[in-house]
Amino acid sequence: MNRNELKIYRQCWFIRAFEGAIAAEAAAGNVPGLVHLSTGSEVADALIGHHIDPNRDKVTGSHRSHGLALACGVEPLDVAKEILGKAGGLSDGLGGTQHLIAPESGFLTSNGIVGAQVPIAAGAALSAKSRSGGGIGVAVFGDGAANQGAVLETMNMAVALKLPMLFVLYNNGMAQSTKAETASGGNYRDRARSFGLPVWSADSVDFAACSKAVEHSVGHARLKGPAFVEVAVSRDHGHYYGDEKADQVFGANDALLAFEKWLLEQGVERSAIVAAADAGKAHAHAIVTEAVAAPNAPATLLSGWSSGESAVND
Amino acid sequence: MTEQMMTFSGALNAVLHQAMRQDGAVVCIGEDIAQNGGVFGVTHGLCDAFGSDRVIDTPISETAFVGMAVGAAMTGLKPMVELMFCDFTGVCFDQILNQAAKARFLSNGKLKLPLVIRTTMGAGDGSGAMHSQSLHGLFASIPGLIVVCPSSPADAAGLLKSSLASDDPVIFLENKQLYELEGLVDAALPPVPLGSAKLAKDGADVTIVATSAMVHEALAAATRLESAGVSAAVLDPRTVKPLDEASILEHVRGTGRLLVVDEGAPFAGLADAVISSVVRGSFPSLKAAPQKLCPPDTPVPYAPAPEACWLPGSDAIVEAVVLMMED
Repeated sequence: MNRNELKIYRQCWFIRAFEGAIAAEAAAGNVPGLVHLSTGSEVADALIGHHIDPNRDKVTGSHRSHGLALACGVEPLDVAKEILGKAGGLSDGLGGTQHLIAPESGFLTSNGIVGAQVPIAAGAALSAKSRSGGGIGVAVFGDGAANQGAVLETMNMAVALKLPMLFVLYNNGMAQSTKAETASGGNYRDRARSFGLPVWSADSVDFAACSKAVEHSVGHARLKGPAFVEVAVSRDHGHYYGDEKADQVFGANDALLAFEKWLLEQGVERSAIVAAADAGKAHAHAIVTEAVAAPNAPATLLSGWSSGESAVND
Repeated sequence: MTEQMMTFSGALNAVLHQAMRQDGAVVCIGEDIAQNGGVFGVTHGLCDAFGSDRVIDTPISETAFVGMAVGAAMTGLKPMVELMFCDFTGVCFDQILNQAAKARFLSNGKLKLPLVIRTTMGAGDGSGAMHSQSLHGLFASIPGLIVVCPSSPADAAGLLKSSLASDDPVIFLENKQLYELEGLVDAALPPVPLGSAKLAKDGADVTIVATSAMVHEALAAATRLESAGVSAAVLDPRTVKPLDEASILEHVRGTGRLLVVDEGAPFAGLADAVISSVVRGSFPSLKAAPQKLCPPDTPVPYAPAPEACWLPGSDAIVEAVVLMMED
């Protein structure tokens, strides 16, 4: 057993506790708008963060990208502040929960428009290709986005242009608040194959398989060309936090419990597992608590952005 | 005539029920509208009442389902599309700009396009830059589209009814901040004609033209101005395109002063269109330069203080009117 898996496990609990703390702040009225939580996709998020190289890769994500940004190594305090609309957030509170932007950490952008992040990752892949540094573009999107024309167009184009790009489909079975099975024809892996993309897939409750799928698909994108990986994940809330119409619950499908079981099977001491989880949770609570105490983004933030002034100021 | 208190969203819902009951050609298409009753509850109960063949949950595929609605409208159905946020028209803009808007012209009227795209507009709830825009001016700049921005439950109901009866495509913009607003609505849900402004409050000194949520900011400002001795009228165009220029011109000829308050673009938007019309049409009667209050020329910010600062409000309206009165 090596330290990597425990580190990833800790990261997963960090994300879950971070989202739990954000949910509590949302319930208390401290989040400006609606939040879409990553609770349920922690294992997939953490594995992507683990296998990409933030120095040369660029990841784009959906509206549900808190966990992905954190896993990519974006400064968590800045993420929390952005979600809470605080000064010192990633964009000082101008962007917010759906618009986390930290290219310096390899996290290019999340997005308010379903699927729009996918062609943007193709652009990052094109830049990486032109630099010949071995970097890749990674687009993380959901089963809902898989039905957007822009996503299908990008799959075709990535193959046609031989872009170093990875398509990561998080399948949580819900397209916003509509069941994926009533909104999708065929399966997503066959779609990807039909464009000529090599396909990997795994369920995030199977940590080992999931890790292998992410590692191999990242490797393929880096060395050989565009690739596709589908990861089955859960979504422990409705489309947004508080959307009771489409609430889901983990039940037996909690990838973190499965991960814990797997660690035990690998011979990791229970005390070490518990300590890793506790460390992740404590870190998350400390971060969100600190962010809550930060000053709110001031109204003066807008000055300088009007009428093309931003271009002058740059 | 019996009137009842209804919310803005409840009034829209009642019209949709009535329209689907009266006309089997009306179908509803959109994301999360059937099983979930729509993200803001406007389509609540329609699927139970009329079935999933007429109230259709779609994939998140705006180009495909707006395009499908365009084709369905060309071929006998009367689709009501719900697009969660007007920001999402970016995804399917070809179907709106090139297909829906031009079909009647290109067919020399052979094709009818009884299509209503209901969508939302409006900032103020921390939804960020891609869920808060007010793009009515953008749509209004496209020949072939009717653009509607109701400000009250009764107008929402009446204008939706007229929109559903229109053979031209309608972009129907509902301000998110108004869904819970209550008001009296005639139980028979009478139509409100498209292209007809409403004088929300009369006044002699200045004409404030405002639409959607800004009507309520203007009314609040007018009340405060009244106590300061300024008589301000609030005129709500209700339909951005066609714009009721005649009513606006007539009223400004009486007051000699015009302030347009609009949540849309500060450049080439509704405010500029109204001012242009007034300057061309009633220049001799103007006592002061027409003014406008719009958000700054930036995307909508997320954090509460910048967002509140971004939105035009009653304080700024009072201030602007007072300045105009000094002219």
